[in-house]
Amino acid sequence: MERQNLEAGWLLGSFWSLLLGALVVSTFKGPQQLLALDMGSENASWEPEEVPGTESSEHTFFSLDYQHVQVPFEITLWIMLASLAKIGFHLYNKLPSVVPESCLLIFVGLIMGGIIYGLNDKSPPVMDSDVFFLYLLPPIVLDAGYFMPSRPFFENIGTILLYAVVGTIVNVFGIGFSLYGICQVKAFRLQDISLLHNLLFGSLIAAVDPVAVLSVFEEIHVNEKLHILVFGESLLNDAVTVVLYKLLRSFCEMSTIKTVDVFAGIGKFFVVAIGGVLVGLIFGMTAAFTTRFTKNIRVIEPLFVFLYSYLSYLTAEMFHLSGIVAIIACAMGMKRYVEANISLKSHTTVKYFMKMWSSVSDTLIFIFLGVSTIGDNHEWNWTYICFTVVFCLLWRALGVLVLTFFVNRLHVNTVTSKDQFIIAYGGLRGAICFSLVFLLPDFPRKKLFIAATTVIILFTVFVQGMTIRPLVELLDVKRKRESAPTVGEQIHMRFLDHLLAGIEDICGHWGQYYWKDKFEYFNSKYLQKFLLREYSQPKSSIVLLYEKLEKKHAIELVEAGQLIHTPSHASFDSQKSAGMVKIVDGLNSDVLENIQKILARNLYKIRRTVRFCSLKIYGIQTVQYNYCLSQQHVQMLVLFRYAINELSIRRTGCEK
Amino acid sequence: MGSRASTLLRDEEIEEIKKETGFSHSQITRLYSRFTSLDKGENGTLSREDFQRIPELAINPLGDRIINAFFPEGEDQVNFRGFMRTLAHFRPIEDNEKSKDQNGPEPLNSRSNKLHFAFRLYDLDKDDKISRDELLQVLRMMVGVNISDEQLGSIADRTIQEADQDGDSAISFAEFVKAFQYL
Repeated sequence: MERQNLEAGWLLGSFWSLLLGALVVSTFKGPQQLLALDMGSENASWEPEEVPGTESSEHTFFSLDYQHVQVPFEITLWIMLASLAKIGFHLYNKLPSVVPESCLLIFVGLIMGGIIYGLNDKSPPVMDSDVFFLYLLPPIVLDAGYFMPSRPFFENIGTILLYAVVGTIVNVFGIGFSLYGICQVKAFRLQDISLLHNLLFGSLIAAVDPVAVLSVFEEIHVNEKLHILVFGESLLNDAVTVVLYKLLRSFCEMSTIKTVDVFAGIGKFFVVAIGGVLVGLIFGMTAAFTTRFTKNIRVIEPLFVFLYSYLSYLTAEMFHLSGIVAIIACAMGMKRYVEANISLKSHTTVKYFMKMWSSVSDTLIFIFLGVSTIGDNHEWNWTYICFTVVFCLLWRALGVLVLTFFVNRLHVNTVTSKDQFIIAYGGLRGAICFSLVFLLPDFPRKKLFIAATTVIILFTVFVQGMTIRPLVELLDVKRKRESAPTVGEQIHMRFLDHLLAGIEDICGHWGQYYWKDKFEYFNSKYLQKFLLREYSQPKSSIVLLYEKLEKKHAIELVEAGQLIHTPSHASFDSQKSAGMVKIVDGLNSDVLENIQKILARNLYKIRRTVRFCSLKIYGIQTVQYNYCLSQQHVQMLVLFRYAINELSIRRTGCEK
Repeated sequence: MGSRASTLLRDEEIEEIKKETGFSHSQITRLYSRFTSLDKGENGTLSREDFQRIPELAINPLGDRIINAFFPEGEDQVNFRGFMRTLAHFRPIEDNEKSKDQNGPEPLNSRSNKLHFAFRLYDLDKDDKISRDELLQVLRMMVGVNISDEQLGSIADRTIQEADQDGDSAISFAEFVKAFQYL
């Protein structure tokens, strides 16, 4: 294992330095910004084709035309670099557990930026905000929204919204005003920064970043409720950030500010939020509707999921609504129906493509963050920067404390003080702040803001990111329970839902369960008929979970080939084997076909592994083992035979 | 309706109900007005038809069982005290109650009592066990009509197997509690 690691390390290292060299050379070649995909370079690549009238007489066997492929080539190189770096981290098992991946990636970016700066003696390319917002951010948010567990999300939606909206506003104004107060102190020589500029800075630095939160919290498995609170807040505060940032920026450019404008701002917030949700839902429903008709072209089914989500993001950005909220609404809205409509393979494809894209984006963002830090974009001012850090932490803690106090008064499920601490501590800032600060209009103190943002981001990601894991363990925060879902639990949850909805009806109280029940009713009566392909037979989630678990067990049974105690199939008395047969009857034909194929393939494999295993066991046990296994064989053959029978019965049309 | 309502709910009664169930004064008055609005016969008690008149309850799969839970053994009418007593099971557990004396009778809304209430909704024949048939009935109500009986039977089998620890092919109250420990 060690030798393997070492070899892999050498290979990676050499690959990596090659790539790095290639990138450095490429920055030598062209003064153009690496990532600002301006049309100039693309046009330039077409021109040489017309020129070589003189050269065409010489047939060169080997020529180099870098201009032609420059842009895609460089992009691919960057992505390759990022992915190789990621492999590198996971070679050393101890490293990811101490240092979160985001830190390592920023570190790598810093090194690269340093190398490029040192060799070129000018600033390395800066991450273009357009590239970030249009290409790098959507995959991550889509992945987050699609795999968001909707049940805890909606149970805690009140709290999440409170933190996202009120908390962010409190943070923005708090940080803005405190920094303005600091600027007033004559000794610091910062008086030229006006209140508006401070507020603008506050608005972009106050928002918690979903990318950073996701990458850090993914590795520390805290309990579901805490996770969803922090995560939901980081996603939904985008609406507030968008409004405040744009509003304050337009205020900066206006000469006078009337109170009407302030009210317009508040109104704008509602438009942005609700508009974003609406856009997302429209696209989500359209996507679900489209997948209803894709039965014959299964291959492009996953494409629809991605296309519609990306369209919803772009549409929302077009109208200056919140793109993140739109894409989340789209993903959550369409998930249920799309998953029922698309095939199993498409489902797997969607899942893995999403994960892959979001992972690549994530890695690229952090590396670029590191690279962009180096350079002469910064103006350093100790006081301002230190106070920014202090105020960020302070106001976040204050905000969380006060809001949780209110939440605990109204709600049954209290947020414990340990959870509160983690929520306050987990307020990481990331690439969104960074991109926003580059989008600021040019004014004299812009570089100071850039420097302050960089320091804050590095501080939160490195210091808070690295220490949050030991803190979680130290404080003994409730962790995620790692147990498999059971059918029984699902039944009981549904049972409780119905029960509580009924009680709420009796009390005449319109509570959480009442609305949930109403939505489910609306769903089954109208939505499902419209959006699902086979609406005549929507399967209840209990049945789906049961089928999934049984399939898994059947596959495990066959693959293991040994006697393992699986809940449904593992004893010898005839009653249970009859039970197994009954289970076969109950499964639908897809599952049966699956089982049949697996059994056919693995039946001989099992015989071989059986022989091998039995050789290892001594004495009487050998005999017993063999006996056990041959009985297992018999059972499997029985299963096999019934499966075939069942399949033939179904094929001849004796279905109900 | 006004004067009758006030005579039917005197302050001493409110105090008694408060002590027994733990609801606050405002909650009791609100629930009382709901009780009277449901009580179409205006005789101070609710019958099964009064409950069945609630529209959402009619489409709730567990509607009948919930209604039955309100009526004590063999009776057909429930007065306000009984109404409150059943509803008290659903009051959220508050932190300040945990510090009260442990020696007194367990409050109606303790976790154990809540689970007991749910258990009684499953267990119709009241033998302190949820047998396969009872589970089947509940499943049938919740899952709908599209699933075949054998499939439902296997789901019920699996559920019992997951929860059953003493091997009696039925879920006793202790096993029921254990299944809920994560919810």
